Amino acid sequence: MALRFEDDFLKKLEYLQVVSRRAFAGHRGADRRARKRGRGLEFADHRGYSAGDDFRHIDWKAYQRLGRLLLRLFDEEQDLPIYLFIDSSRSMAEPAKFDQARRIAAALCYIGLAHLDRVTLLPFDIKLGDETDPGRGKGRIFRVFEQLEKLETRGPTDLREAFKTFGNRTRQAGLAVVISDFLDPHGFEPGLKMLASMKHDVFAVHITSERDRDPGALGEVRFVDAETGELRDVDVTPSLAAAYGGAWHAHQVEVERFCGRYNLGYIRADAEQPFEHVILKTFRQGRFLQ
Amino acid sequence: MSFSVMAWWQALLLLAAAAAAAVWLFRMKIRPPRVGVPTLFLWRRVLDEKREMTWWERVRRAVSLAATVLIAVALALAVTRPGPRRSADASRGRRLIVLDSSWSMLARAESGGTRWDRAVRMAHRLAAASGGADVALATTADGLVEGPSADTALIETAIDRVRPSGGESAPWPVVAGVDSVHFITDGALARSLDASVTIHSVFEAAPNVAITAFDARSAAAGAKAPEAFVAIANYAPAAQKVRLTITRDSTMIAERTVDLGPGEAGYQAFPIASGKGGRLLARVSAPQNALDVDDEASAWLPGGEPIAVTIVAEEPAAALARLLKDAPWVTPTFVTPAQYRQGRADVFIFDRWAPPAPPNRPALLLAPPAVAWLGTAGADEKAPHWIQPGSHPVLEGVDPLTLEIKRARGLQAPGLTVVAQSEKGTPLVVVADTVDRRLIALSFAVADSNLAFAHAFPVLIGNALEWLAQPSFGPSRRPGRMTLPGSTLRVTDHSGNAMPLVRAGGFAVVTLATPGLHLVEAGGARGVVAVNVGDPEVSNLGRSSLAGKGQPSDAASGAGGRPWWTYAVIGAFLLASIEWWTWQRRVTV
Repeated sequence: MALRFEDDFLKKLEYLQVVSRRAFAGHRGADRRARKRGRGLEFADHRGYSAGDDFRHIDWKAYQRLGRLLLRLFDEEQDLPIYLFIDSSRSMAEPAKFDQARRIAAALCYIGLAHLDRVTLLPFDIKLGDETDPGRGKGRIFRVFEQLEKLETRGPTDLREAFKTFGNRTRQAGLAVVISDFLDPHGFEPGLKMLASMKHDVFAVHITSERDRDPGALGEVRFVDAETGELRDVDVTPSLAAAYGGAWHAHQVEVERFCGRYNLGYIRADAEQPFEHVILKTFRQGRFLQ
Repeated sequence: MSFSVMAWWQALLLLAAAAAAAVWLFRMKIRPPRVGVPTLFLWRRVLDEKREMTWWERVRRAVSLAATVLIAVALALAVTRPGPRRSADASRGRRLIVLDSSWSMLARAESGGTRWDRAVRMAHRLAAASGGADVALATTADGLVEGPSADTALIETAIDRVRPSGGESAPWPVVAGVDSVHFITDGALARSLDASVTIHSVFEAAPNVAITAFDARSAAAGAKAPEAFVAIANYAPAAQKVRLTITRDSTMIAERTVDLGPGEAGYQAFPIASGKGGRLLARVSAPQNALDVDDEASAWLPGGEPIAVTIVAEEPAAALARLLKDAPWVTPTFVTPAQYRQGRADVFIFDRWAPPAPPNRPALLLAPPAVAWLGTAGADEKAPHWIQPGSHPVLEGVDPLTLEIKRARGLQAPGLTVVAQSEKGTPLVVVADTVDRRLIALSFAVADSNLAFAHAFPVLIGNALEWLAQPSFGPSRRPGRMTLPGSTLRVTDHSGNAMPLVRAGGFAVVTLATPGLHLVEAGGARGVVAVNVGDPEVSNLGRSSLAGKGQPSDAASGAGGRPWWTYAVIGAFLLASIEWWTWQRRVTV
């Protein structure tokens, strides 16, 4: 799949910004408000002058009015750490799903880079894959494209194991975006809970596909689990197929409700939906982008 | 119940095997198609929970199995073709299969093939279902054709060999010791049959156009030219245009298009211009026409080919010479005894002279002298009285009472038959009608009687020449047996094939089975007989004597004349289609 976007689309992306519901401490200066007070442009507070403080920040008007030396404090503007987790397990092997996931990852990456955020791309399956840190600036997007194009699906899904590895590797909290179908035989909940417990602002992008809902097989068939290779002979009747459709739908609702309950961001992105529609409308409606 | 193509135990075995095979195939585990799914855990969740099955889900496999068995049994039934048991003896013992070989069996059926094709298939099935018993094959035209024999291959070969050949008047074939008689017919000709005969109908109504009569006659007194008469009939349920053509030898002499309503017959007359050639052929064509054999009819035009007569005499009688010169159907040649040569005429007339050796052509001898080959001459009788007219064709229309004979000298020989004699027993007219000799001898000369001035003279000479030159002639006839003079040497059909002759009681009997012109040769003379098939009984293909008479219907036929087993095949196909369709939509999976 060629991950190349039209120039018009890229310009539209540049106007967007990833919304984090919390402020995180960054490493470098950027245009995002950080927790720390620093040398930003936006006034934050006053405090009493102490010896050694930069007297250039003394608020002389307050001294004239109050007769005390007060120091003006400004918000520090730093970059935002954005961790883009992309599910590359075999359950994502369906081309439409995986392409949609990679495109979303590429688009979010571009938006982050355009706003000088620190974006890290983290593919995962049963374990966390090699992370990609493209650097800063939107010119680095091509490196991201290259990495995403090389990405292949393999192995089963284990969100908990992957995020545990991530927790051991990374200490700085940030915005964690999980792009996955959340079809984890061990359950998606432990993984997301663990990620949230690391103080990250977690956002779940749920990739769904019509083909997952209805595999289009009726009669006696032998199902092959894409992740484990497990075989199961099933006599699929119309009512059984309908029951499966119901179970699949319940799983979607389950993921969404879980995210709501734990205050995690949630967006459902259908693989069959046009990609631009997903980014420009779905993500904005989900208040992930503004 | 009996089965058309095999013994009952074989058929039941086949049905059981088909059902068992269907069950086995249905229950056989085939490798299901592999379908990749992203994960099985959702499926596992669904499969592990107890679901209440719908009524259809509980019975669907049983329904599908029943449909599969039904398909197999329907196909097996189509192969075995069971039918009601005819009688206790019908399925065993010696069997006689009689094929109706009338011409109507050649009619093309709308369902494909001809009635004869269906009859042959039915005969094959009956022969195969004999179960090893003796089978005899007969046709209504030829009688017994083959058997009785237990050799099925022999009977089946004979079934393939026989062809329709008319035989409407032939007697019903009888075979001794037969337990069951199966008559395969279209019922075009009504027959009175024994009640024990099992009738298998191959009747299927078909539209047809036919020539039902065709003949020609020489010019009557006052008529300018000879005429041909044709009767054509339209036995189709709709009116149609019928094209009629008549050819003389190879030249078309008439062409007409006639509008005939349904069931309507039309009569057409055509003048025949002067010319040579006596072979006439009429032909009709129409859009709806199921039978070909009645579309052509032949006729022989009397006088169409003039008789070459050579008169051998030192000085022929003037009256005779005048009579022959004026007759349009005779080409006379006058020669002296010195000029006489064998074989230069159709008929010789020897006037008061006889050749030293018998002529190789028919001959009329007038007061012949005694010669060895002819016989011995009797005593002269003066003024013999001829009072009995005689019944021989030569004397037909001859009034002897108007004749005055001055002197007669009778001939006597073992090969001569006296057809007229005087009161005192002197032979006046004798004929010879053998394979190598055909002659008529008058024991008196024209000059020794008032013959030249009597009304009987042209009649007698005309009869004599026709009888001598044409051993057989007359109007067109239907196929069947024909009695010919004992002098008949050979009869050949239009293809030149010699027909078998049976000689009995001074006559020759020939069966003229094929339509067309037949050549009859006898005593050096040649005649033509036209045989035509066209007949309302044969050509009206919409009529059958089987309809409405309560005759047993065809065991292998459905209500529409189509064999019932085709419905079994169609049913199996429909069931298979429904099964396939529901499988596609997973209704019965």
